[in-house]
Amino acid sequence: MVNFTIDEIRSLMDKKKNIRNMSVIAHVDHGKSTLTDSLVCKAGIIASAKAGEARFTDTRKDEQERCITIKATAISLFYEIPEKDFQFIQQEKEEDRHFLINLIDSPGHVDFSSEVTAALRVTDGALVVVDCVSGVCVQTETVLRQAIAERIKPILFMNKMDRALLELQLDQEDMFQTFQRIVENVNVIIATYNQEDGPMGDIQVDPTRGTVGFGAGLHGWAFTLKEFAEMYSSKFKIEVPKLMKRFWGDNFYSPSEKKWSTTGGEGYTRGFSQFVLDPIFKVVQSIMNFRKEEYLKLIEKLNIKIAAEDKDKLVEGGKPLMKAVMKSWLPAGDTLLAMIAIHLPSPVTAQKYRTEMLYEGPHDDEAFLGMKNCDPNGPLMMYISKMVPTSDKGRFYAFGRVFSGTVATGQKARIMGPNYVPGKKEDLCVKAIQRTILMMGRYVEPIENVPCGNICGLVGVDQFLVKTGTITTFENAHNLKVMKFSVSPVVRVAVEAKNPADLPKLVEGLKRLAKSDPMVQCIIEESGEHIVAGAGELHLEICLKDLEEDHACIPIKISDPVVSYRETVIDESSEMCLSKSPNKHNRLYMKAVPMPEGLPDDIDKNEVNARQDFKIRARYLSEKYEYDVTEARKIWCFGPEGTGPNLLIDCTKGVQYLNEIKDSVVAGFQWATKEGPMAEENVRGVRFNLYDVTLHADAIHRGGGQIIPTARRCLYGCILTASPRFFEPVYLVEIQCPEAAVGGIYGVLNRRRGVVIEETQVTGTPMFVVKAHLPVNESFGFTADLRSNTGGQAFPQCVFDHWQVLNGSPTDAGTKTRQVLDDTRKRKGLKEGLPDLDQYLDKL
Amino acid sequence: MKVIALVSGGKDSVFNMMECVKNGHEIVALVNLRPPNSQSIQNESNMESNGEVINELDSYMYQSVGNEMLDLYAEAMELPMYRAVIHGKVINTDLDYEPNDADEVEDLYKLLKNVKTELEEKNKCVIEGVSSGAILSTYQKNRVENICKRLNMTSLAYLWARNQSELLNEMIESDLNAILIKVACYGLEPEKHLGKTLKEIQPHLLKLEKEFGANVCGEGGEYESFTLDCPLFKKRKIVIDEYELKIHSNDAFAKVGYLIFKKFHLENK
Repeated sequence: MVNFTIDEIRSLMDKKKNIRNMSVIAHVDHGKSTLTDSLVCKAGIIASAKAGEARFTDTRKDEQERCITIKATAISLFYEIPEKDFQFIQQEKEEDRHFLINLIDSPGHVDFSSEVTAALRVTDGALVVVDCVSGVCVQTETVLRQAIAERIKPILFMNKMDRALLELQLDQEDMFQTFQRIVENVNVIIATYNQEDGPMGDIQVDPTRGTVGFGAGLHGWAFTLKEFAEMYSSKFKIEVPKLMKRFWGDNFYSPSEKKWSTTGGEGYTRGFSQFVLDPIFKVVQSIMNFRKEEYLKLIEKLNIKIAAEDKDKLVEGGKPLMKAVMKSWLPAGDTLLAMIAIHLPSPVTAQKYRTEMLYEGPHDDEAFLGMKNCDPNGPLMMYISKMVPTSDKGRFYAFGRVFSGTVATGQKARIMGPNYVPGKKEDLCVKAIQRTILMMGRYVEPIENVPCGNICGLVGVDQFLVKTGTITTFENAHNLKVMKFSVSPVVRVAVEAKNPADLPKLVEGLKRLAKSDPMVQCIIEESGEHIVAGAGELHLEICLKDLEEDHACIPIKISDPVVSYRETVIDESSEMCLSKSPNKHNRLYMKAVPMPEGLPDDIDKNEVNARQDFKIRARYLSEKYEYDVTEARKIWCFGPEGTGPNLLIDCTKGVQYLNEIKDSVVAGFQWATKEGPMAEENVRGVRFNLYDVTLHADAIHRGGGQIIPTARRCLYGCILTASPRFFEPVYLVEIQCPEAAVGGIYGVLNRRRGVVIEETQVTGTPMFVVKAHLPVNESFGFTADLRSNTGGQAFPQCVFDHWQVLNGSPTDAGTKTRQVLDDTRKRKGLKEGLPDLDQYLDKL
Repeated sequence: MKVIALVSGGKDSVFNMMECVKNGHEIVALVNLRPPNSQSIQNESNMESNGEVINELDSYMYQSVGNEMLDLYAEAMELPMYRAVIHGKVINTDLDYEPNDADEVEDLYKLLKNVKTELEEKNKCVIEGVSSGAILSTYQKNRVENICKRLNMTSLAYLWARNQSELLNEMIESDLNAILIKVACYGLEPEKHLGKTLKEIQPHLLKLEKEFGANVCGEGGEYESFTLDCPLFKKRKIVIDEYELKIHSNDAFAKVGYLIFKKFHLENK
């Protein structure tokens, strides 16, 4: 580790072309935190050294105990790149070779993907770690997809090579094939979500370009083809970049003929095996098999320096020596840091193409230009991506990235929440920033100011923001785009204080919990129940533990988990729905229609959204979903929250004053889609058509007070007459297990309404991967059930996948739909049964 | 000038009379239109399934709730009161009005015409003005003006286009005591808000205005009021002894309800 004063760190921050902001992302248990440790040990900047401690970035007690990362943690690294590597950097760079690398280690378990989302927002590059034995897993794909959507450039690291070598005993060709398949799989995902001619350009990973690393984080060694090409470059008299190409793919070498070939044949060996794997195999095998003479010779030949304290291991051989030798020969820290510095973009490079995606405002205002040029003298633009608890209970550091300008202690700034609309005063505070701080793992240090391109924390902002927000000094600034999470809070529990007198503490605790986690939702139902909603069982478990122990500090009672549903329709409304305003002088005529399959998902994914040009959107809707173009051009709004997967379309013809009531109808629509008629759950996948209105001729008699409730009633009537149904959330479960356990998995899935969609063997291993769809409602206790039925051999990963219609009408007693309706209404303290249509509709 | 005042009992019609007096005019008679025999005869359109009477016509022009107490105004103000029944229906819903014999507006025209002729003959004078309480309803103002024009009278609407929050404040400060007798707006609940005085409800109205632009003076039909006392009531004020709350339409989100007064009397101030 390197010891630095704050002033030294501060001076590094000004050299923005030599800054790298990056996150480490991967599937759970692929070894992110361990790999990160090797980087921290090599280059971690800390004020008071606490070296050698394992899992530096896992700061919480439960993280250390469970060996799983729960919260993303940021650390800064200092790296002086060797002269020979400096020339490989193709983007703009500073004169000197000093680099400041801000690294965020993120959780791999799907339940915590919201932490990943928050981490990605503040970084420009990502180190994607893949366990080369397990290969590309479901969460690898999820995080990679998110990274690309945020315009984050990926590089790949193939981890746990030691397992492939020692446990699976793969031969060289098999190992190459395994690696190549993983690279291909990753590139397929990248190609799916990134256009090659897009703003980021070609971001495919390629070992011959050095964007793929190999190694074992646990043993502290890693390499890219560049390291080996450098070793042989002088021998072959071929330049390093050219040689790297020979070391991958179908390039074969014959030592006897001293010739390269692309077809192979008698006497030819694959370049990768011959020059990269073979030396590694020799070193590892000779040491592990205690062939002392052989390994001593190799160590000398390869010019590997053994540290003084490891000298005695030379005599023993075996695993300790293997670790020491490999670490010294191919140090993971150096390899990875060089990869990061060379291949990941600096803020200057990244903000050129990320700004247009991040900023909601016009693409030519001061804030936009300041961000695009990464200008420390521009107006301050900072995005707060999450809140980090302080040692002071109930207070939080606001953690985020400065995109433009410089944030300073005492500076007066506009603090804008996600609901801020330029020109209005809602969700806006103008306050001085109490203190800017540097956050390094579990330590914080005050710092005078932080220029753009860097990541830092702010003190005192937590009072004005719930979870995220934009901080700026530019009065006309728009918000930075709100993060879109890949998972949704579909599992919820009700909590109450064991001792009713503790209620105020519980309420305060829930507020703090909501702040401390990017995604958890804390809601109060009309019945007075306090609901905590999370992404999955594990996420909820951690949140509730935090609530009980850290935030509320009182004993709490927790209900059984319940699932959140969506309300939808499966038919067109059976009648034209008419509602009159309270003064009876205004009438609305509407109908509900289910959306074609795929459209709600397109809206979720932002393919179709409220901000698009209406003509482009209409063309898309007409081509893909056969919507009438004229109607598709008259989409009034999306909802709920102005962005949700329901549409309100103006299908009227020549109605006077229609535009004057648009705002009121839209307000009623937002409300109705947020709390549907069946059980006040969100509405999903419904298109509402406004066919006609009769309005009082006098504007004063058709104001919001008259129209908003009327619109809401009419929309409710529309849903109830269009065969209303519930959507239930469904997980995609991926289960890895040995062949013998597969039978047990099927049994458990069958009992829980699960449907197997895929079963494959992991090539080169005896492991099977089973993929299935499992209703979230049936997933409680699934992990434990599965383990007990497979002798603890199967490990599931559940990630929310899609919504599925629950069969059965809500009017028929005994259907699942009816049961969900009754349960939900009861829990929320609503009147029993499906509401009467009479409340919503009027007769002419 | 001498003025005939249109009264509904609502705060606006009463306050406009006060403004007329303040401006030196003399009110010579009160005029009101009421639903067809509201209390005794059952009208088809007013029937609910259980056969009870509804005292609310949902007219575009006239306030009908509270009409059962209006006869007391003549006594309280010591002025003659002329009442007629609404026979017409809403025919023309445009902003501008073209006379049509079957329209509810014509009922007012006929009544005003009769009263004017009768009083002018009896008192040997000319009655020139009509007092009405429209604030922002162009619809109502246009109709009153249309009638005035045809009768060669002047419409006196001192409240027209006034700022509603200011106006409400003035009413409260000028000792006009009115209560809410009908609510028909999101945010106003029959069980909670009916019977409240203007002063009591004022903060809530201001809140609703901020939320979604509700009209503080109820001009959009948000609520209707009934004046129990004002400086124009010479010696006596109205006291309610017994009333009943009636739900007009039990809509989700914006229930409409009003009060029916069963027993009431005048009392010395």
